[in-house]
Amino acid sequence: MKQAVVIIIGLVLLSTGLFAQGDDDISPQRKQAIDSLALEKVRDLSKYISIIGNTDTPWSEAQRVIERAVELFMPGSEMGVSSLSKPEVHYYKVRTYFDRLMQLNYDRVVIEWYKIQYVSDLEKQPDGTYVGVITVFQRFQGYDKEKGLVYEDTTKKDITVYVKRKETQIGGRLIGFWDVLLGDIRVKETSK
Amino acid sequence: MTNIANRVRSVNWQQVVVIIMIAMVAVSFDACKSSGKLARKEKKAQIALYKKQMREIIDGTTKLTIEEQDQLISEAINKNFGDDELNQLILEASERSKSSYAEFNKLLEQKVAVARNKLYDLIVNKENLSADELEQELNMIKEENLENGEIDELIGRLEKKINDMRQFSSVEMTLKSKLESSFQTIADASKAGNLSMANSLIESTLNYFTAPDIPVLIVISREGSIVDYDKPTTIMDYLNFVKDQKENRNTVDSYQLDTAGKIKELDLIKK
Repeated sequence: MKQAVVIIIGLVLLSTGLFAQGDDDISPQRKQAIDSLALEKVRDLSKYISIIGNTDTPWSEAQRVIERAVELFMPGSEMGVSSLSKPEVHYYKVRTYFDRLMQLNYDRVVIEWYKIQYVSDLEKQPDGTYVGVITVFQRFQGYDKEKGLVYEDTTKKDITVYVKRKETQIGGRLIGFWDVLLGDIRVKETSK
Repeated sequence: MTNIANRVRSVNWQQVVVIIMIAMVAVSFDACKSSGKLARKEKKAQIALYKKQMREIIDGTTKLTIEEQDQLISEAINKNFGDDELNQLILEASERSKSSYAEFNKLLEQKVAVARNKLYDLIVNKENLSADELEQELNMIKEENLENGEIDELIGRLEKKINDMRQFSSVEMTLKSKLESSFQTIADASKAGNLSMANSLIESTLNYFTAPDIPVLIVISREGSIVDYDKPTTIMDYLNFVKDQKENRNTVDSYQLDTAGKIKELDLIKK
């Protein structure tokens, strides 16, 4: 009887140990590197948006940057667009959003993202994907040649990020890389 | 005056000559006597010195080299002092010198064997040492001053290897620094709003590479044997990325060259 109890306790300890190992298979240093990588992708997007929105950017260059920006997103992801003049938020597929951004009716557009930070840390999901939410503040300024600044707003947006470890063969080497993809970008607040 | 002349004439000159000769012989005999004494003193001192030196050889306290000991023993034998005690000491010193020589040779052989093995290891660079580290090890072997033809030949080979490594690493450094400088210049040109210059720099930087689509890997974390990368990209996309982001965030970690000396694979690492 005693032996059976010892075996059962042993099995329980072993199983909890195995589960614990599954949760902790990434060291804090590696996790930090992944967190930083995801934040960096959002910063990359902010630079792409300012290039696409800049009316001085040549059309071909803007098209190339759109391709790069779209690659940052999960297929089918949407971008929320708000305006001070309308209460509702419109959601566009990211490629449509970028195309519209390139054709805005301003002579000059300045788009700046700031306070880029996690509101929900990356958490490992049962399928192994890490999911988190990053919030950004976007300052949008539209200029007219004659009138100068004609429109300005600040929008708080939440971006869902998905990070998954994948493997690929390059030059005979097996490479383990972290694929960071952005999901929907939801408008949380819009103010002047 | 006539008196004096008569007296001179009356001297028996034969007797005078004999007396002078006897006096001269007596004087020279005395001189010989004192120089003989001096020689005996010197000989005694030399014998004492040789005895002392022989004893030092026998009890191993001599500071002379093996060759110098042999020379001293031969010298003592050649002098042939005819001193029994010294002769005995010479015999013992000679025996001792022979065994020291054998010990010395054995030790030398051991040192040569160790140095030979070490040099072979260093030539194949088993421990993947840098040129400076190899040179440090080489200098330690040189300090042994083994004077062995085989060791000298191996030292020569290792010196050549170190020189080759230094030349290669200076070439490598040049390419690495050229690349990093190109990345920075592209970022700077773009930041300054000079798009055409950034594009032209991208074109010239592509000349270092086999093709615009060669893979570029960016290391984001390295922990022991676990290396985490960002999503792989191509050199063309990476150079445009540097231009778009207007900053150079990564440094060159490693690269592989093709037979034409162009980069066929590039690994970058976060600064």
